[in-house]
Amino acid sequence: MSAVGFADLSHDEASASVGSTWAAARRLMLAFLVTGFSALMIGASIGPLQALNYAGIDLYPFLEPALKTYYQGLTIHGVLNAYVFTFFVTAGLLVYLPAREMDVPIPLGLWGACYGTMAVGTLMLLVAMFDNSATVLWTFYPPLKGSAFFYVGMTLLAFGSVLPLPVLLVMRRRWRTLHPGMITPLVTYMSVITMLMWGVCSLGVGLELLVQLVPWSLGWIDAVNPMIARTLFWLTGHPIVYFWLMPAYVSWYGLLPRQAGGKLASDTMARITFVMLFVFSLPVGSHHQFADPGFSPIWRGILTALTMSVALPSLITAFTIGLSLEYAGRRRGGRGIFGWFTALPWGNPAVAAQVLAAITFIVGGSTGLVNGSWQLDSIVHNTTYLPGHFHLTVGSVTALTFMSLAFWMVPHLSGKALVSRRLALASVWLWFVGISLFAVGMLWSGLHGVPRRAWVSSLPAPVYDALYGNAQLPLAVVGLGGAVLWLALLCFYSLFFASLVFGAKTEEGREIGFAEVLGAYAGSAAPNRVAGALDHIWIMTWLVALATVAAYVPILWPFLQHANLSTGWRVW
Amino acid sequence: MSRETVLDPFDEAFHRTADRHERVWVLLCVLMLTLLMIGTMFFVVHDYGVVTRSEAYNNEQIPAETRRAFQEGAVVRTGPNAYSVYITGRLWNWAPGTIHVRQGAAITFHVTSADVLHGFEVQGTPVNLTAVPGMVGTVTHTFQRAGVFFIICNEFCGLEHQAMVGRIVVDPQEAQS
Repeated sequence: MSAVGFADLSHDEASASVGSTWAAARRLMLAFLVTGFSALMIGASIGPLQALNYAGIDLYPFLEPALKTYYQGLTIHGVLNAYVFTFFVTAGLLVYLPAREMDVPIPLGLWGACYGTMAVGTLMLLVAMFDNSATVLWTFYPPLKGSAFFYVGMTLLAFGSVLPLPVLLVMRRRWRTLHPGMITPLVTYMSVITMLMWGVCSLGVGLELLVQLVPWSLGWIDAVNPMIARTLFWLTGHPIVYFWLMPAYVSWYGLLPRQAGGKLASDTMARITFVMLFVFSLPVGSHHQFADPGFSPIWRGILTALTMSVALPSLITAFTIGLSLEYAGRRRGGRGIFGWFTALPWGNPAVAAQVLAAITFIVGGSTGLVNGSWQLDSIVHNTTYLPGHFHLTVGSVTALTFMSLAFWMVPHLSGKALVSRRLALASVWLWFVGISLFAVGMLWSGLHGVPRRAWVSSLPAPVYDALYGNAQLPLAVVGLGGAVLWLALLCFYSLFFASLVFGAKTEEGREIGFAEVLGAYAGSAAPNRVAGALDHIWIMTWLVALATVAAYVPILWPFLQHANLSTGWRVW
Repeated sequence: MSRETVLDPFDEAFHRTADRHERVWVLLCVLMLTLLMIGTMFFVVHDYGVVTRSEAYNNEQIPAETRRAFQEGAVVRTGPNAYSVYITGRLWNWAPGTIHVRQGAAITFHVTSADVLHGFEVQGTPVNLTAVPGMVGTVTHTFQRAGVFFIICNEFCGLEHQAMVGRIVVDPQEAQS
């Protein structure tokens, strides 16, 4: 659906300097990509230590100067992977792809400010985490009290991550003046909805940080209400999982069908999916608090119903992406029930990464239905089942899809070819095997009541055996998965940095292959009426904001009526 | 997308079938999710005990005798076969550390925290409750099987979080007088 090459001719300032503008945009995009992946390199390298911890192997005494405890490593792992890595790649991707699709220049100053703000925030977070002054994990629940560096850094990182929204809106407005009456192109549309979702939901954690945690850590206030903090955190903390998934969906809908040799099965369904994620993800955050005292059972019931509905867009995605892949496979000569699947271009690491990611998401998504169900959650709440679940979503869907982006973006942005396609394929398959083993082991041990986030390997052996002896087999599988993931990281990062430094010069991949849509009939600018109606993004945003307020006022009201304050604790 | 394309027969047929299948898929998904929701709600109502409820929102609201019960770690008989247990989570143990209850009796756990957040998980049961300072949460559970159950802290609470373990000893029914 791209309008390649037409827009600039009519636009004075863009046409003159179009080449240099894109060169600058490419450089900034590369900075986002490399920073994000560097964060993942540190964060993910710590991960297998945690997997081995569950297998009863305690390596932390050997890491003393760098990491004092399991919990310090876990904090770094969570913050760098879940926030820094995903925010940097996404804040780059959701600006760069739409700009290329619409062919409008990027307001580089604002986009650069986005990078700068997040970078300063990340540095502050690194200081706070590595000097062990903020071992509060990525959820940073008070009354655990980290240093001010941590909370101020987190605020800057979060604020920066919202800045792609104004960048996108400026570009979309420019595009609309150039193309009056036309519907926003698909990749841009998906990006705008994702950023609107993030913009609205980040207000929760924004309030928590600015009103409670930052003033508290600076000593301006003595105490905070831990339940309000927790509720505000999950207002953002649930939709954030869609902020991890939706950029991956952008790639699955907008790029994968073409990379696989086919077309996207439905443009309208892609739009409906994104709108549903926007609408349903926001009011449901408190389903992370099913085990908390303080709000009414009626609300828990409503949250369960809303949580179930948020599964629908992912199920539609499974259908549309599955169908698009089937189309590609049949076009490539695949026959029979599964022939289309084996006929996919498995030799292309970008395709292999995304298809494998989609496979893990079948388990990742269905296990999410378990935690989202009120009654079932009481069995698995805060056990290893939870990290098992989300390593199949953010740890595979997002990680593998972003790796697939790196495979084409490194040559596209830097003009340097990948040094080895085989190494790329190896990293993808090893990641797939490692994360699957890890996650299955975690899900399974969770059913034996093994708690998440626990330094169990430091317990005396008889205690470990008495508590978790039943889960010995699944816990060993967790450790094995971690070891395989180390190999995957080794392959990926040798490829990534070697290509950036030593890659042969290439002119290939300068164009971005946006997917065509199947059944888009000749000359039809507007896909259909539904897509047209969904283009009214502001009405939708206000409705979502209203629904969120309606869901949260009854939950927060009882907390606000009682000043239940706690002073801080530093106990790590 | 080039504007001259006319859909070829393969695309035409694929698209038509896809549209039909899409409607069936969406219908099946909605049906499945509805059934799941009804299922989870049914079991919540059926076994309302494990639903976390709150007794008091802050220290001022907690009655004096409840506070005393927490200090003593009391087990209070509340009915012919029903008991209330008062447990406080603190850095890094559960008080009381060992609790004796009777097999087949309805046990209501009243849980609070003296410092940071803790997680009150009774391994092998659906009992799972966040211990929040200044608040009291309750769940009810009947132990059908005699033996030792571990109380495991499942909310990160600092350096010795992994060692914050308590025990519930369920005495068999036969042994009771």
